[in-house]
Amino acid sequence: MLEVAGLRSGYGRLEILRGASLRLPAGFIVGLIGPNGAGKSTLLKTIFGYLRPFAGAITLEGRSLVGLRPDQIMQLGVGFVAQAGGLFADMTVHENLLVGGYSLGSRGELRAALEDVYARFPLFRERRRQPAASLSGGEQRALALARALVIRPRVLLLDEPSAALAPRFIEEVYETIRALNRSGIALLIVEQNVEMILSVAHRVFVLDLGRNAFDGTPAELRGSDRIRRLYLGEGSRAGIPA
Amino acid sequence: MSGARFRSLRRLVLCAGGVVAALLPALAPHPFVLSLATQAVIWALLASSWDLLSGYTGQISFGHAGFFALGAYTAAGMAKHLGLSPWLGLLLGTGGAALVGVGVGFPALRLRGHYLALVTLALAELIRLSAQNWLSVTGGPFGMYDFGTFPGLPAGAVARAQATYLLVVAVVAGAVAVMLYVCRRTRAGQAFRAIREDEVLAESLGINTTVYKLLAFALSSGFAGLAGGLYAFYIQLVSPTVASAATTSLVIGMAVFGGLGTIWGPALGALLLFAVNEALRFVGVVYNLVAVGLTIMVFVIFLPRGLAGLALRRQRLTVRRDALRAEEDAEPGQPEQVTGATPSAEDPRSTA
Amino acid sequence: MVLGGLYALFAVGLTLIFGVLDVINVAHGEFFAVGGYLVFAALVLLHLPPAAGVAVAGLGAFLLGLAVYPLLIGPLKRRLGRRPAGSLYLVLTLGLSTFLQSSLLAVAGGEYVRVPPLVSGILEIGSTGVSHQRLLVVTVAALLLAGLFAFLRWHREGLAVRAVAQNPEAAQAIGISLTRIFVLTLGLGAGLAGVGGALMAPLFNVYPAVGFPLTIKAFAITILGGMGNLVGALLASLIIGVAESLVVMAIPSQWQNGVAFVVMIIVLLLRPQGLLGRATSR
Repeated sequence: MLEVAGLRSGYGRLEILRGASLRLPAGFIVGLIGPNGAGKSTLLKTIFGYLRPFAGAITLEGRSLVGLRPDQIMQLGVGFVAQAGGLFADMTVHENLLVGGYSLGSRGELRAALEDVYARFPLFRERRRQPAASLSGGEQRALALARALVIRPRVLLLDEPSAALAPRFIEEVYETIRALNRSGIALLIVEQNVEMILSVAHRVFVLDLGRNAFDGTPAELRGSDRIRRLYLGEGSRAGIPA
Repeated sequence: MSGARFRSLRRLVLCAGGVVAALLPALAPHPFVLSLATQAVIWALLASSWDLLSGYTGQISFGHAGFFALGAYTAAGMAKHLGLSPWLGLLLGTGGAALVGVGVGFPALRLRGHYLALVTLALAELIRLSAQNWLSVTGGPFGMYDFGTFPGLPAGAVARAQATYLLVVAVVAGAVAVMLYVCRRTRAGQAFRAIREDEVLAESLGINTTVYKLLAFALSSGFAGLAGGLYAFYIQLVSPTVASAATTSLVIGMAVFGGLGTIWGPALGALLLFAVNEALRFVGVVYNLVAVGLTIMVFVIFLPRGLAGLALRRQRLTVRRDALRAEEDAEPGQPEQVTGATPSAEDPRSTA
Repeated sequence: MVLGGLYALFAVGLTLIFGVLDVINVAHGEFFAVGGYLVFAALVLLHLPPAAGVAVAGLGAFLLGLAVYPLLIGPLKRRLGRRPAGSLYLVLTLGLSTFLQSSLLAVAGGEYVRVPPLVSGILEIGSTGVSHQRLLVVTVAALLLAGLFAFLRWHREGLAVRAVAQNPEAAQAIGISLTRIFVLTLGLGAGLAGVGGALMAPLFNVYPAVGFPLTIKAFAITILGGMGNLVGALLASLIIGVAESLVVMAIPSQWQNGVAFVVMIIVLLLRPQGLLGRATSR
């Protein structure tokens, strides 16, 4: 569904991605892991149009995304949830969700979409009038996710959904991710928390120094001693390699 | 054009320019021409001084007219009220402006770009208001006059103009040379560039940004004050309009035209723009300012490095190198390896 | 009170532009001046009724504001990419300010332009009288500002404007076109300033540089209220307006303008985030 081939990208003259590739088949969950500086977030941002690639191809169901702006890519059914922030801090929960449906055509459509989201996240229905900034870390992350869902995306790009969250919240977030996938959404997830992503992904790509280092199923990754040592940490605890 | 060849070409141009400048009194012994030239040179000093602070060190000041006015009023005031020699007046004007500059520099340490510009703008306006209303000292809206001029000038009109011109050129050339020297050949200059590029990084490399910022302020405002003093003794009339925003606008326009961050660029830009300005006066008094505004806008967008930038493509790399003086060896040909960002984050500008 | 209302119209527009685009519009005063000249043209040259005159002024300024982003800020943004270079934008708007001001000077001449009052008559309140013109200023300003706040709060596009102000990247992620919002915001800000100029024209004379002292004061106001904070700008406008009126009783009036500057400098030294702080975390 979503294909990236030979992507070179970066900031200004600084090249971070030096030819990365991956594939996200429809309905799958694909994880993207790797050490700091590998270019995982850069890859996601390039796909979504925040960065313009120096070279390479990005296609969504055959249609090229290169050169499109984020708001245009969103219109094609792609959602993006940033690593931090990503919310409108001074707006209420309801307003955040409401503006998430900015691109929807009719008021009826918007109302229906909001209803769906509230059904999936009943917590937010109670807290609709609260300012988004007053929510806990986990709730904020969930709100960002919920907001991305208002437009009923077919593909979701998540940048480190578990970052800076307490373990309890991480579990909840990943439960939501599983539920979303069951309802048909394909997810491309950048993660530092290797354990969690290995537990949900169908396929995992490992990025190192801007290039692909490995890809396979979680079982294959766990099966390789080398990969375990380099990227999964010694033993099987989640962690970032030195 | 390779670096070395460019440098020698530039030296040639500068020498040629210097020769022309020195010979101008002989080539064109007309008081009017010399008068224009003298003013242009004074503006060149003002523009360079602005560039030192704003273009080179990245501390944007919108109030340089204020320092200019301070220098002018101090110099004139000392001569008029205290009867001091104009040379002393000049010195005091420079020193006074420098002091105020440092004074402004202190709070500026904490302020980001916009705020600094606004504060300096407000300061210049305050100075202008004071100049306008403090009748006893400044002569109010009509300004100060009758405070004498440089001593020992010949009597004849032409000779006088020539001598004044040479004097001003000498002082200005000296001042600009000092600025260039500081920026190009001292550690202070490196520090200035580092501060402009990435202040946080500079701090983390052990550069005392506080000291260097204040130094930049002092030098810049001091030289602006010097320009003011020269202006005062040259024109022999100092009025509140010297502190107006139009002055600042003109200075910024000259600097942008000539090329920010080069010191000599704005000086050149000032000379050229002043010439254009005067030429346009024949067309209609107001169109010159329209042109200035247009120039600023067009140049900022399309030619932010001004005239200087047209020939300075390679020098841009110096800036990145200096920001990372952690390694002593810098490789001029490979900018891609050198990151201009903070070392730790994966995505240096992920939240830009 | 009148001054406060006027400052509010002006400063809120300026703050809006800063909040959304992160650009300080040094040329804001020139939109004010343009409004003054437009209302003059409408009333005196075209003999339109006062209401139409004000509308023309506002509309004209609005249109002029719309042009600023595509012609100036947009190209610069594209050129600079993601590097934050707020100072260059400042220089750009300074250039615009110079250009507009001197263009007005070239086109309309430097003399004061007199605009007749939009409404005539005096309202007696107790022992003092307030001219209807002044009341008009306050009323229109209040209405417009109320309208603006309502727009931002409830209208879909207003929500989008707030979104862009708070988090441009997230805003893009939900399909908001940043360019459109930027253009709209500049138009709105300029339009507000233009209406201010039209309303004030009968009270103060119109001349090309009339906007400049206002611009600097508006900077002081926005800093006092917290840059980017609309409510802060509103409050600060009223505070400064009142302060200036009070201060006039104590010190000579020529220094009146200095009040705002002194306030600004004090605020910057003691509490740079202003009274209410930056509305958004950016």
